Amino acid sequence: MDCGNGARARQHVFLLPEYLKDASKKMKSGLMFVKLVNPCSGEGTIYLFNMCLQQLFEIKIFKEKHHSWFINQSVQSGGLLHFATPMDPLFLLLHYLRKADKEGKFQPLEQVVVDDMFPNCILLLKLPDLEKLLRHVTEEKEIDKKKYYKYSKEKTIKWLEIKVHQTVSALKTNNVNVSARVQATAFFSGDQVSSDKEEDYIRYAHGLISDYIPKELSDDLSKYLKLPEPSASLPNPPSKKVKLSDEPVEAKEDYTKFNRKDWKTEKKNSKMTAAQKALAKVDKSGMRSIDSFFATKNKKIGKI
Amino acid sequence: MESSDEAAVEKCRVHLRPGTLCDAARATLHLLPCEVLVNGPAPVERFFTPAIRQGTDGLEVSFRGRRLRGEEVVVPPGLEGYVMVMEEKGEGVGKDFSEGSSNLREEQELAAPPEALERDFDRFMGATASFSRFTLWGLETIPGPDAKVRGALTWPGLAAAIHAQVPED
Repeated sequence: MDCGNGARARQHVFLLPEYLKDASKKMKSGLMFVKLVNPCSGEGTIYLFNMCLQQLFEIKIFKEKHHSWFINQSVQSGGLLHFATPMDPLFLLLHYLRKADKEGKFQPLEQVVVDDMFPNCILLLKLPDLEKLLRHVTEEKEIDKKKYYKYSKEKTIKWLEIKVHQTVSALKTNNVNVSARVQATAFFSGDQVSSDKEEDYIRYAHGLISDYIPKELSDDLSKYLKLPEPSASLPNPPSKKVKLSDEPVEAKEDYTKFNRKDWKTEKKNSKMTAAQKALAKVDKSGMRSIDSFFATKNKKIGKI
Repeated sequence: MESSDEAAVEKCRVHLRPGTLCDAARATLHLLPCEVLVNGPAPVERFFTPAIRQGTDGLEVSFRGRRLRGEEVVVPPGLEGYVMVMEEKGEGVGKDFSEGSSNLREEQELAAPPEALERDFDRFMGATASFSRFTLWGLETIPGPDAKVRGALTWPGLAAAIHAQVPED
């Protein structure tokens, strides 16, 4: 394979965790992209498994309009940048647990994680420490040393709340770019809005987490977190938000857009602030499906 | 999306050949602020690279009659950049056997997985190059700290918090 010459095949530009390189020295196979159900949209989405590390990764695609890559002596249209980052498999298991809960009984996990559309979901069962994870979102029973699980909404909401708080602290501390932008927010808003800022963090973190759960659960979580109902018609945002709608919100938007799999759903859009809405109109192409990976024919490539 | 393809697709796994992550040679990447509608070879080194100048505040180049301003973007720590290409069906099968086939067969016999990870309808891809930095170009202006791609590069840090396992209570 030579990417320098005649690489007519589509070249995918990826950022992977560095440790995958070391891990790959010891493995011959088991690093694979598969399509699983997206727990938010219900659509097929590509994930990456490392069966050696027993780890699941999600794939996000960054795309900005009108960009292309030069890669050595070749050109690649689209300018896409793919990210593979570790993912909590519980979000995916939750999808199946909620589905199985319609039967209203305790079930063993291998009866729960079944999918005619996405049979690769059985790979999830090979991930480590599932029993421990499942305690966050299920009630369990043990009969003859076999575990049976039933979805618990109460536990799930509490688990999601912790997720939101984890994310809030990351928004505040871990991320240099965010904190710089947060300072910009503070600059614009003055200190009278400091409590408001906390709410913004929570709302934002809630938005990020909502990308991994169905709408219904996202709404329940929003209520639980006492986030104010976003008004449906928002050509004019609430007054105190107005001054924030320029740059800081745009910074915010970077993440939200980047993280939103599915801009098409209008329901989701109605949950955004006016500024987010406005920005959503500007560029909806921040996220693209990685489906082209799996296309057996290369039909779609020409269009990009 | 073609539904006939879809049906077959959901089962399919695309195996990333682990060895290619170690072997991938360093590549030079430029992210350009324009659409180039073709994919394929381009004489980048002949026409683009030699025209790059070091300006007072960054790189400059003229491309298709427009002035581009550029700067280096370093891949965030903990991440490694790769260029990956899907193999044509059937490609690479021979290669697998050439590199330590006895070893592979032995392992397979020993392990004898009841459900093999690689099935004959699966596809393969490999890394063809790696990178730890690329040049980001803006039209007329330097992309700067507000470049969208820079925002995107902070995603892995945030994702780590979202997906960190919640401690048991």
